[in-house]
Amino acid sequence: MEETSIRLSSVGIKFNLNLEKEKRLKSDGLKAIGALLRRRKREFWALRNIDVEIKKGEIFGIIGGNGAGKSTLLKIIAGIFPASEGEAEVRGNIAPLIELGAAFNPELTGAENIFLTGSIYRIPRRVIRENFERIVEFSGLRKFIHIPVKNYSSGMFLRLAFSIVIFFEPDIVLIDEVFSVGDEVFQQKSFEKIISFRERGAAILLVSHDLNLISQICGRVLVLNRGTESFLGPAEDAVAHYHRLITSGEGIDREARAEEGEGVVAAGAGPMADSRRWGTREVEITSVRFVDEKGNIKQAFYPGEYFEARISYVSRLGGRAEGGGGGGGEGEGVGGLVFGVAINTIYKMLIYGPNTLEREVEGEFGKKGIVRFIIPSLPLFEGDYLFSASAYDASLTRAYDHHDMMYHFRVLSRGTREFGCVRIESRWKVESV
Amino acid sequence: MKKQLKELFAFRELLLNLVINELKLRYRNSLLGFLWTILNPLFYLLILAVVFSKIIRFEIENYTIFLFAGLTSWLMIQQTITTATASIVNNQALIRRVYVPKMVFPLSNVIARYIDHLILTAILLIFMVFFKAPFTWRLLLVPVVILMHFFFSLGLSLLAAVADIKIRDVQHIVSIIFQALFYITPIIYSADILPAKYRPLFLANPFYYFVESFRFPVYRGALPPWDIALAAVGLTVLSFGAGFWIFSRKEKYFVFHLS
Repeated sequence: MEETSIRLSSVGIKFNLNLEKEKRLKSDGLKAIGALLRRRKREFWALRNIDVEIKKGEIFGIIGGNGAGKSTLLKIIAGIFPASEGEAEVRGNIAPLIELGAAFNPELTGAENIFLTGSIYRIPRRVIRENFERIVEFSGLRKFIHIPVKNYSSGMFLRLAFSIVIFFEPDIVLIDEVFSVGDEVFQQKSFEKIISFRERGAAILLVSHDLNLISQICGRVLVLNRGTESFLGPAEDAVAHYHRLITSGEGIDREARAEEGEGVVAAGAGPMADSRRWGTREVEITSVRFVDEKGNIKQAFYPGEYFEARISYVSRLGGRAEGGGGGGGEGEGVGGLVFGVAINTIYKMLIYGPNTLEREVEGEFGKKGIVRFIIPSLPLFEGDYLFSASAYDASLTRAYDHHDMMYHFRVLSRGTREFGCVRIESRWKVESV
Repeated sequence: MKKQLKELFAFRELLLNLVINELKLRYRNSLLGFLWTILNPLFYLLILAVVFSKIIRFEIENYTIFLFAGLTSWLMIQQTITTATASIVNNQALIRRVYVPKMVFPLSNVIARYIDHLILTAILLIFMVFFKAPFTWRLLLVPVVILMHFFFSLGLSLLAAVADIKIRDVQHIVSIIFQALFYITPIIYSADILPAKYRPLFLANPFYYFVESFRFPVYRGALPPWDIALAAVGLTVLSFGAGFWIFSRKEKYFVFHLS
């Protein structure tokens, strides 16, 4: 008999974009108070009309473009965000593998953090004590378990966090791209462990950009598009549906599109993407779009194709601060404006991260405009990639607006026999002796 | 309210861990460690006692105990609230990433503080022996008065923590308010040495009732006047009720204001 583990009935959540402004009260002083008084309500529905029922023992995938609401949906299920409408019913213990290690206190040792994290997930102290050795063993951090975790590398940090969650036998597991944790051996180990939960009847929800992984292990998949259900069904069909969605240029950048005429907008995934976005906003990146040669929006490219990222920005820097692109920073110290981009694999490995300081740039920065990052012939192979865009001052120390891996594009297969993710210009020579 | 209490109970181990960690971490890298909890207020007491009994002479009998009792009551409220005001903001990283009942953060701050305060009260009792203050059965009232202090300061802490989420300046404003209140609360002087025209100033000051309720049994060995005791009880109920109610109503939405 199948039992329901999670039931979402017409769930929706809205964010108030003005909340962002409240926090700046002290830095902007009177000006901000004025803005607060005059403010218009700017609401934004990050999710709407989501109806899903997930059964015990099911591996359920969620895919969609950036800002489609995938992570927000997981956070509603985890109880972190309250649904603004509809109802989210959840039965059983949840292990949220979302932003792992968040529960850690950096000053405490690894061992102390195991107990702290345990109590956050309401695992009785007794159970933790019984499993303590196994947790330490699984994490492979025995030597470091009695030093404060602030001295851990980010990999160690995540490994410990993962090991704790994995040992408490949850009924529901929420995963948001955690397979980027640690080395491949550790990933494999974690993966097997998670799959074993399902055999015990746990429901597993997986958000990933890795469509191969999704179609391999998920039964049903929900495709989100601009906060609403675009497709719900078997994994293969869902991936195919998503594929069509992104090649047609739909499904991404909804805010930028919805408010295109308006000028200043919060780009990408909106205010809930905060951990991936930081900076003073003196220069604000209002949208990032991928386009082809003709300027048509596109989300999937073939290897060797023309690739362009269009970064729209609004600058509030005073006077001459927005000096020319390339030479903008020299001798000016504070001020200046530099744009940078980065391309990462979905495992967050950086492939390439150029900026306007290092290269000749055509044109000048203004109060408002578009920065175009062009790759004439895309040297990437099939797969999914994460894209970052950022604006910094000339010393590269002051972030105006950094969108960290907030965007996603896909490279399609062209049936090559080469392997890897990047094509490196090279040739072969064979000599027989 | 029942629902909230039930949930807090379910997370009791977390609450315990937070209290232990706070006490543990506060002095982890200091030489004298936990001793500072005692030394800090004692030095403060020493300074005030020297200034006001030797330099500026207040004609108050057994001034050290008078001052110590007032100061203990004051610290119970002032230190607790100034610490707990930032409790939600300080834990925003956690609140944004995992589900926990938000009340565990101010509550753990307050509990950790009251462990300090209980130690301080124990030292006060030792001082009382030393300075030959009267030991009477009325001292049995002290635990009840401390409990009132606890719920009164918890209530205000919850309110301040909610306000601090919206405007972070609240932390600083709270500490300034307390600096001013210290002088208009009869701690270093007694209420009756001031001219009668300043009386309304005390009556409007909620901390007055707590300081007096605490000081009467300790310093005079007497029960506090019924009107003062009653006012303190009323303020306790009001503060805790309002704090708990507003906090529970708002806690769901904290996450929208945190980053």
